[in-house]
Amino acid sequence: MSHVDDGMLHAYLDGELAPADARGVDAHVAQCPDCRRRLDEERALIARAAELLALATPPDRQVPPFRAGDLKAPTRVWWRVRLPLAWAATVALALGIGSYLGREATLGGQAEMATDSEAARVRSLARRESRPEARGTVRTPPAAASAPAAVSPAPGRARADNIARPRPEPVESKPEGERPRELAAKIAAHKAASDERDAWQKANVISLDSARHVLGGDPVVVPGVPVEALYLGRGVGYSAVVIVQQALDSSTMIEVINARPASLQLDQVVVSGAPAAVADSVSAAESRELVPKSAPRPLRAAVQASPTLFRDVRGPLSPDSLAALRRRLQPLRPATGP
Amino acid sequence: MHSSVFRVPRSALAPVPQDLAEIYRTTYRALVRFLYRKVWDAERAEDLAQEAFARAVVHKPDNARGWLFIVAANMARDDARRAARERRHLTLLKAEPQASEPAAADDALHAESERTHVRAALEQLTPRDREVLLLWDSGLSYEEIAAQTGLARGAIGTTLARARRRLVEVYEAGQRGEHVARG
Repeated sequence: MSHVDDGMLHAYLDGELAPADARGVDAHVAQCPDCRRRLDEERALIARAAELLALATPPDRQVPPFRAGDLKAPTRVWWRVRLPLAWAATVALALGIGSYLGREATLGGQAEMATDSEAARVRSLARRESRPEARGTVRTPPAAASAPAAVSPAPGRARADNIARPRPEPVESKPEGERPRELAAKIAAHKAASDERDAWQKANVISLDSARHVLGGDPVVVPGVPVEALYLGRGVGYSAVVIVQQALDSSTMIEVINARPASLQLDQVVVSGAPAAVADSVSAAESRELVPKSAPRPLRAAVQASPTLFRDVRGPLSPDSLAALRRRLQPLRPATGP
Repeated sequence: MHSSVFRVPRSALAPVPQDLAEIYRTTYRALVRFLYRKVWDAERAEDLAQEAFARAVVHKPDNARGWLFIVAANMARDDARRAARERRHLTLLKAEPQASEPAAADDALHAESERTHVRAALEQLTPRDREVLLLWDSGLSYEEIAAQTGLARGAIGTTLARARRRLVEVYEAGQRGEHVARG
């Protein structure tokens, strides 16, 4: 047997050689003084390296007990997964409340007795609707974004509420009778509150360059309308949101929403690419750790092509006008920029 | 309808499989140590280790041990990217007084300075060598390290040999350099 290489020696000393190979090393070392000496050196090296690593150890603290209840599951995972379900649930809920109110109206004061418990139920439903995991319900799934006219899954109503936010809230149905009205007001208040949160959140003003960077392309705007400002936004289920504020006239502002959908795949949400890319920890570490890690590759490709961006226009206008504006959206070019 | 909406989170609270609890008992410290050598902040390392286990509870991966280290490595990388700048600054601030007045160094300071030296030596390793070394020191087998890093199993020994040699060499060189500078 030829001399044993370093890798072999280390594997041997680490006890990681297959028994047959280990016997081979034994046999060679027994009759090769050089390798015997090297074996001792490598043994000392391994001990020294372990010693040094032991210096770089955090203070030894009590291991916290392991109970599932102690560990908070990353909540964002769940609403992302549940988004489609929550959306369906909310639509059904809205219909349910609507028809319930209708019934309530016809029953009038005669339903007085039942109303208290019913009201409690509706309140709890409305509360549930406004829970964070049920957010994003009014939003168009990315697939529908290419057909701008057919934007809202719950046509008109929900989106109109969103749009009309600056104006007094239109109560969705106006039943007769004291009791139902009170109830409806409560629901409207809940709804307004949850719409407030459902709506695209505007954060800080950003430059056109950062908007491009964030979206991976030009944001779209309504051409020929002065751009007032670009905002970085947030929206549940979207990884990047840019809101372009444009002034139709001195008193009418519209907002053009450019949003890049976030991946809904669980493994990508939880651990960016970990189970799929086994070599990830090393290959990524090799890319010098400070290089921004890309979104999962297919998504990145989609961003470049950019038709998967979700676009929408909102403002205090009729649904028809908004639809017309949506059809006119064009990428914002530097020439027309702010 | 509602039951289907709320079914998912409940499964997150389902009883933890016994083996994961066992892995927690045997691996938690190693995971904290592994993370510490990446983020160099004991509390942060513990937080990240907890987070990794929390994700394992949700995910129920097949090979939980290897999976935990992959997740931990990814989290540490994200964490490092976010905080790299400030932390580097802080380290510089911390390292300076020790270098200038070594005579006053008490035990804690001494340990701190050794930690800094080991850290500096570790940072001289290539990312691949460092990763393999840290994983080995965390108690993973060659098999597991190979699976996690994408290296051939036969290459682990060679990589470890190189990593250990480099770590010791750089560390000793640093010590010598300091003695020369002091004397």
